[in-house]
Amino acid sequence: MINSDVKLNGLSLADFNRADCLIYGIGNVGRQDDGLGWAFIDWLEAEEVCPEAETVRNYQLFLEDADLISNKTRVLFIDATKDPSVELFLLQPVSARLDFSFTSHAISIPSIMATCQLCFEVQPEVYVLAIRGYEWALQEGLTDSARSNLDQAIAHFSRQG
Amino acid sequence: MSRKLVIDPVTRIEGHGKVTIQLDDDNNVTDAKLHVVEFRGFEKLIQGHPYWEAPMLLQRICGICFVSHHLCGAKALDDMVGVGLGKGIQMLPTPEKVRRLGHYAQQLQSHVTAYFYLIVPEMLFGMDAPPEQRNVLGLVEQDPALVKRVVALRKWGQELIKTVLGKRMHGISSIPGGVSKNITVEERDRFLNGEAGLLSIDEVIEYAQEGLNLFYHFHETHRQQVDSFAVVPALDMCLVNDEGNVDYYHGRIRVIDENKTIVREFDYHDYLDHFSEATEEWSYMKFPFLKELGREKGSVRVGPLARMNITQSLSTPLAQAALEKFHAYTNGKSNNMTLHTNWARAIEIIHSAELIKALLNDPDLQQDQLLMTPGDNDWTGEGVGVVEAPRGTLLHHYRANKEGEITFANLIVSTTQNNTVINRTVRSVAQDYISGNAEITEGMMNAIEVGIRAYDPCLSCATHALGQMPLEVSLYDVGGKVVDKQRR
Repeated sequence: MINSDVKLNGLSLADFNRADCLIYGIGNVGRQDDGLGWAFIDWLEAEEVCPEAETVRNYQLFLEDADLISNKTRVLFIDATKDPSVELFLLQPVSARLDFSFTSHAISIPSIMATCQLCFEVQPEVYVLAIRGYEWALQEGLTDSARSNLDQAIAHFSRQG
Repeated sequence: MSRKLVIDPVTRIEGHGKVTIQLDDDNNVTDAKLHVVEFRGFEKLIQGHPYWEAPMLLQRICGICFVSHHLCGAKALDDMVGVGLGKGIQMLPTPEKVRRLGHYAQQLQSHVTAYFYLIVPEMLFGMDAPPEQRNVLGLVEQDPALVKRVVALRKWGQELIKTVLGKRMHGISSIPGGVSKNITVEERDRFLNGEAGLLSIDEVIEYAQEGLNLFYHFHETHRQQVDSFAVVPALDMCLVNDEGNVDYYHGRIRVIDENKTIVREFDYHDYLDHFSEATEEWSYMKFPFLKELGREKGSVRVGPLARMNITQSLSTPLAQAALEKFHAYTNGKSNNMTLHTNWARAIEIIHSAELIKALLNDPDLQQDQLLMTPGDNDWTGEGVGVVEAPRGTLLHHYRANKEGEITFANLIVSTTQNNTVINRTVRSVAQDYISGNAEITEGMMNAIEVGIRAYDPCLSCATHALGQMPLEVSLYDVGGKVVDKQRR
């Protein structure tokens, strides 16, 4: 499944190029393909794509991210996915939902959004770009397959302009 | 027929634990154990690396108490390069105060996470509430205004850590002999006065006091449950200063008994003379104990409850007032009520905030003398660092060869120190909640989880493990057959 399967009303990266937008890479570059989220941010910054947006790299989401997104109107999270139904990458909107997924090591994007809504009484538009990864061992560097998926995601967004 | 219960994994605890409970023919608990089933590796992994990498690399054991590991490692390196406390050399005022500031910020942030995210939901919803409600997201639904304040508290702690340590996680500022940067007036004023989206220190103290009040309210309305849950005697241990009061960054190791009599007090550099570590085939987590007292009598409890038992006073006014109430509750004896650990933790949140305020007002933070440079012949090649981490006494010990490569590392983390007392707690809870039953119920699972979580254990740190871990309780019969098993 790739981006074209999802209707985003023609949304492109240019729509995130504003100071009130946040682009948030989730992952760990020391865990092979878990570094996909950060790698996408690396590309944005190297190519000066969306220079106006705030970019963030983190290992995981924190409840405090509800506060962070409360100051934004549009947010894009980029994360690696193990989901085999995602062939290359997938961009989709996310809805707020308390899914009670909290542990001190992890919390979901829908729960962050619901916390934002309930605690801060605002709700930005939120999207997640999931890029398919394959290996999560203790090693730096993406696998060739994951790198290829990243390149295709980048090419897709580059074409959009 | 005797049976054994297994609870696996222990949820909302850093790491993966499994609990087994052995029942006799009448379903009475005869034994209970917390098994830590993670891979241990960091002490080996660091060998061969340059010595100066140790505080940077070993802090990656943990995503919660990384500052404690970083500072503990830095103290060991101070010794190693020859300008440390091992030689009786006091650190310069500015680097010590900068390190302390980061340390207190970590304690505030870590305790706020454990207390508000994990324990307060238990207090507000009850120990018997379903797990999906009994967590901070349940709290979001129930009391968003409280969660908003908690988020602001944690954010404040994280921002201060980032300012002091250079990074939000796994900081880089403590180097052998000092620190790489001081705190500017502008940085200081952000935290003293607050700014848009960031609390002032006075608001932090106010929110911390509200947190303690939550415990007081819960205690008033659930006194019997709180006071009778897992009352577990133990020796208490922490670092103390010359006045015998807790010092979170430096001091001598003091161990007291139930009557608050000092059992041992020694320089932590001599820990090998006093401590030994036992192993069990059923757990990767070791069991440290005082050699002279033996495995059972010589095991200690560390962390907030131990520290509040040991310290005679606290140097800040609100925390001191709270400590007096805490001490009065047990008429000057040591407090062995496991759930009072949460009381102690709430006091320490206030104390951390007040200590931070005092440091932020200290002009030494802006001075420029940040580093002691060792002479050519000062290298010792060995160092020991000890700090009071949020969960208790933490020790790093390294040796390096002439080339500066680490040849030996030993880490004794607070959760490991608490291993025996956590097992006693599990046994106590199992006897109270499980005896007479042949199957595992939600209430039993919750009770065991609550007992373990009071210690806020970090099983990842304790085994220096890699990866994530989730509580499994299994019920065994006398022949070793699992007759019930629940996983969460």
